[in-house]
Amino acid sequence: MQATRIRIGRQLLDARTSVGRQSVRGFAASAPRGVKEPPPPPQKDAQDGTTHFGFETVAEALKEQRVRGVFSSVASSYDSMNDFMSLGIHRLWKDHFVRNLNPGRNPLTSPSSPDAQKGWNILDIAGGTGDIAFRMLDHASHINHDAHTNVTVADINPDMLAEGKKRSLQTPYARSPRLRFVEANAEKLDMIPDNSIDLYTVAFGIRNFTHKDVALKEAYRVLKPGGVFACLEFSKVENPLFNAVYQQWSFNAIPYIGQLVAGDRASYQYLVESIARFPSQEEFSGMIRDAGFLIPGKGYENLTDGIAAIHKGVKPA
Amino acid sequence: MPATARLSSTIIGTSRASPSRSLPAFRQRCAYHSYDYAQPPPFPPAETKILSSAYAHVPEHGFTIDALKLGARDAGYLDASTNLFPRGVFDLINYHLVTQRLALKDSVQFPEAKDGKEIGVGRKVRSLTLARLRANEPVLHRWQEALAVMAQPTYIPPSLHELAALADEIWFLAGDQSVDTSWYTKRATLSTVYSATEVFMTQDTSKNFVETEQFLDNRLQDLQTVGGFMGKLGEWVNYTGHSTINVLRSKGMRI
Repeated sequence: MQATRIRIGRQLLDARTSVGRQSVRGFAASAPRGVKEPPPPPQKDAQDGTTHFGFETVAEALKEQRVRGVFSSVASSYDSMNDFMSLGIHRLWKDHFVRNLNPGRNPLTSPSSPDAQKGWNILDIAGGTGDIAFRMLDHASHINHDAHTNVTVADINPDMLAEGKKRSLQTPYARSPRLRFVEANAEKLDMIPDNSIDLYTVAFGIRNFTHKDVALKEAYRVLKPGGVFACLEFSKVENPLFNAVYQQWSFNAIPYIGQLVAGDRASYQYLVESIARFPSQEEFSGMIRDAGFLIPGKGYENLTDGIAAIHKGVKPA
Repeated sequence: MPATARLSSTIIGTSRASPSRSLPAFRQRCAYHSYDYAQPPPFPPAETKILSSAYAHVPEHGFTIDALKLGARDAGYLDASTNLFPRGVFDLINYHLVTQRLALKDSVQFPEAKDGKEIGVGRKVRSLTLARLRANEPVLHRWQEALAVMAQPTYIPPSLHELAALADEIWFLAGDQSVDTSWYTKRATLSTVYSATEVFMTQDTSKNFVETEQFLDNRLQDLQTVGGFMGKLGEWVNYTGHSTINVLRSKGMRI
């Protein structure tokens, strides 16, 4: 009952916004049927202490809780759902992301000075299930022959961390000092000292943060000078034709798959809404620059025409 | 000439006045030469620092990611900071290409015209091209690696772009002021000659690269021969065409 009321309310809101915009909307920009237009962002975001949770507007204090709820409920089926939703492509994205960062210090090619630290310190934020962490360690060990690079996996959600710990048992890194799990909020990483991290990664996590700018500042704090912030996140598709297909897929198919496979439609509805809400490539690389980072090249790399994008920033030395 | 300089400076003046965002200032590419304003540095400061230190490692480590990492370390950055270069090794090669191209205008000075006889444009082009080739000397034993990277499909367009920019720079510094289609043919032919000579030079073991010099002279000679032949051919076709038409007209044909 509650849910229907919310949906009706949302449709009313949609109708109102679309009437308001009708005069300026061109043919190419008309929304495909069944795809909800995101409501205009609330004007005074910071002042009245609200933020968005998908297309809903919720109190800031509530968002963290609700995000936690979403990921607790999807933790166990997280991987199979990712496969269904992205047709397995998310694995390619993650592989490319890690290969491109090239973590690890090769002891054969880099001359070792006694004071030089061995290996990289990697902090993987929102990496509960260890997807990125295991890939990083594999790349460092097998490609760069580096047995010292270590990864700290931080996640706000204990259920996701439990899933990652369980999965780490099938890797050679379980119970080794190279892999560590901590429960932490990316906006407040008190357990990580200043200037201690070589590489800060966040894969498909940053769009769920309540304050992205605060998290970016915190990343800037923990990174060493010259350290790299790297973010893999859903983004905006650039080809309008492909975008129409993609929007149909994400708003109609994904919640349905969520219902079938994970038995949880609402969480996946949130997922697609939060993707639609996330800033575009240019906006987000602007946010990274505003946090004080140097932007390599144009600042981002599109994957699959912009369904996902890799953003990077380097802390100036 | 002063008029063009003034024109370009007013253009610059207006573009300077317009609000510009901090970063794209470096990315901005000036499409013309200005006599009044210094060109902005081709790379942002942090990138320049890392690339110039990495460049010092090229003779030993080649155009490789290792040279980049060592350069980053020398500049006070980390191994991870090489992520600042999305194109990796190619960015190091590009640094060599761009800095050597821009260095041409300071490294080659032509004496003022003495007793009313100026050095010909052709001679200037020759000495500029040679100067640019000699700039490859410190990294020559690694240059085949660089050519291999530049020949990768992703990097072919930026490499060709840089080659075109070099040909343009040489013709400009030589004082070429053509405004017809020869503008294009001059740059195109110089690009082919330059790249051929560059490849030849990587195999050259002669003292002080005399064979490379010889090779370059031969290619430029070829150009003149071919150019002269094409000119004569054009003249002949033109003359014969006109005569044919006139003969036909004199026979009463309505052409």
